[in-house]
Amino acid sequence: MDFILLVFNSFSLLMDPFNLTYVVLGFLIGTIFAAIPGLTATLAMALLLPLTYTLSVETALMACASIYMAGMCGGSITATTINIPGAPSSMMTALDGYPMQQQGKGALALGHAALGSMFGGAVGALLLIAVAPFVAELSLLVKTTGKFSLLAFAIIVVVIAQRGRIPQAGLAACIGLMLATVGLDAMEPITRFTYGDSNLTAGIALMPVIIGTFAIAEVLMQAYEPTDDAATKAAASKVKIRRRDFIPPWSDIRKIGFMCYFKSCLIGYFVGTLPGAGGSMGSFLAYTETVRTSDEPETFGKGNPKGIVASESANNAVCGGAMVPMLTFGIPGDPITAIMLGVLVINGVQPGPQLMSDQAGMIAPMLAALLFSAVVLIPLTLYLIGPYFIKIVSIRKDVLYAVIALLAIVGSFVATYSTFQMFMALGMGILAFYLRRNGFPVITMLLGYILGPNLEEFLRRSLSLSNGDPTTFVTNLDSLFFVLLTLVFVYFLVIRKPATKSPADRSAS
Amino acid sequence: MFINRQNSFLYVILVVSVGYLISAVSLGAPIVDNGLTPSFFPILVGAAAILFSTMLIVQSLRTPVENTKADEPRTYTHLLVIAAIFVYIVAFRQIGYFISSTLFVFALILIFSRVEKLLFKAGISVLVVAICYVMFQKLFGVRLPTLWG
Repeated sequence: MDFILLVFNSFSLLMDPFNLTYVVLGFLIGTIFAAIPGLTATLAMALLLPLTYTLSVETALMACASIYMAGMCGGSITATTINIPGAPSSMMTALDGYPMQQQGKGALALGHAALGSMFGGAVGALLLIAVAPFVAELSLLVKTTGKFSLLAFAIIVVVIAQRGRIPQAGLAACIGLMLATVGLDAMEPITRFTYGDSNLTAGIALMPVIIGTFAIAEVLMQAYEPTDDAATKAAASKVKIRRRDFIPPWSDIRKIGFMCYFKSCLIGYFVGTLPGAGGSMGSFLAYTETVRTSDEPETFGKGNPKGIVASESANNAVCGGAMVPMLTFGIPGDPITAIMLGVLVINGVQPGPQLMSDQAGMIAPMLAALLFSAVVLIPLTLYLIGPYFIKIVSIRKDVLYAVIALLAIVGSFVATYSTFQMFMALGMGILAFYLRRNGFPVITMLLGYILGPNLEEFLRRSLSLSNGDPTTFVTNLDSLFFVLLTLVFVYFLVIRKPATKSPADRSAS
Repeated sequence: MFINRQNSFLYVILVVSVGYLISAVSLGAPIVDNGLTPSFFPILVGAAAILFSTMLIVQSLRTPVENTKADEPRTYTHLLVIAAIFVYIVAFRQIGYFISSTLFVFALILIFSRVEKLLFKAGISVLVVAICYVMFQKLFGVRLPTLWG
């Protein structure tokens, strides 16, 4: 209860003009990046990461929260109006959004998408605020062996969630773990894999890894396979949107039904808590569930607003869910929460079970910003600048990619004022580019890199405490719980289901 | 044919993984007095990486080469971008933020578009660099290198 009050008290900090400016700017930047096909809110956050050095942790986290929320709903703009999802999480929205646009109801479809996003984002944030303190208290019960099993569970689940390309995901995770082992050993005064280079003694910094993986690799991908800009611009120029058409009539909302909103939110929230699942998986599951339980399943894919609501409610509820493991265990569920974790680490804050109890005052404003973005910024942005949304895709791509590259390279310099970090970012970008080109999911590499140091430390501590006895992982109850949970996931994701990829998975990649 | 365009990356990863494993082994014995040493985890990871890359190489050798992909025209634009970034980083300290960044942005705009309207694109480059300067140096207090001092 104290934490809930703390979050609501944080609204005063959020309303500070300086913080509010960053939250609103973050939301607009997130919307723009999510709306442009090929770019993502993850890229926006990676580019803005260096700037968090000059901000307080609270302000930086609030801005991140608004970018995250905007990134989940911004993709619906182009998904609905020109049938090109700006973000993978909006792929299912296009199935019914674009047919509505063809029927002359594009603005109404955007209105339904915004309402669904608003509801999903708000429910996800409220559930997070209510649930996170309890999960944090439970997480205190997890001891060293349990922590190792939990981290191993997270990495294994992220790998096996990539159905159809598990070996690629496994290899990418190994590459991430290899990167994590570079530098000074955590338990003994010995350097590993530095090959005499003193720049590597402290290890490979998080900043160049994130900037390289998301920003530089994206510029290289666009150079290798440029998106069809002309077709997108031509489609966008035909779209006319009027502000008054955005507001969905009450009769439509009643027809969709409160249960559709709420059920999709819950699906999105719980999918979000799983490592590696993400917004596209959440919207895909909510959409299929809505079609399955509908009285008129044949209308889906032909402009049924229920499909838009299911998809958008779920993908925005994912935001709240994905923050639960990040805040309570220090395990990021998706690339955006991985970058948020980076913001904490860069500012010297160690995420984990103690975070919610020791530094709740720092986390609360972020959750307030998440709720504020969902309830206020989503509808406000749509109403005020909605008619101009579609013009975003007309932005000059040559200038855009040049700006992204400049921000990425200079941004990697900011951290240490060292050109070594710039070269490191370039190296990571090249690695991530070739991984993506060859069908490797880079999220597993990032998670391997982020979780690697703790994974190794807890493994060594556990075996040291048990005098080298590996049965310690099944004789300790907290560890046994996660071992069994891992087996359950392996059974359902690898053994029981055929190794094929869903459309959502494909898009998410 | 054991090496083709589609699996050459896997061979590179395999070679790197083998090199990593050799370096890990050279760190010393993985277990001493029932305790794990700094080499244990890297040996485990290196071995797993070799296993996965071998699996993928075998998988690729069993799959017939897709003619459509093999026949695709090769694009080298990404290599130009990599070269531009490399030169930019080298020049960044030497000639300062303004000159190096303007040339870098101009080069990237040309790479991502056609070589035309050069004056206009040069103007955009100067504008972009100036805006980024204001953002980094003035707004966020980041000290950027200059040609003199």
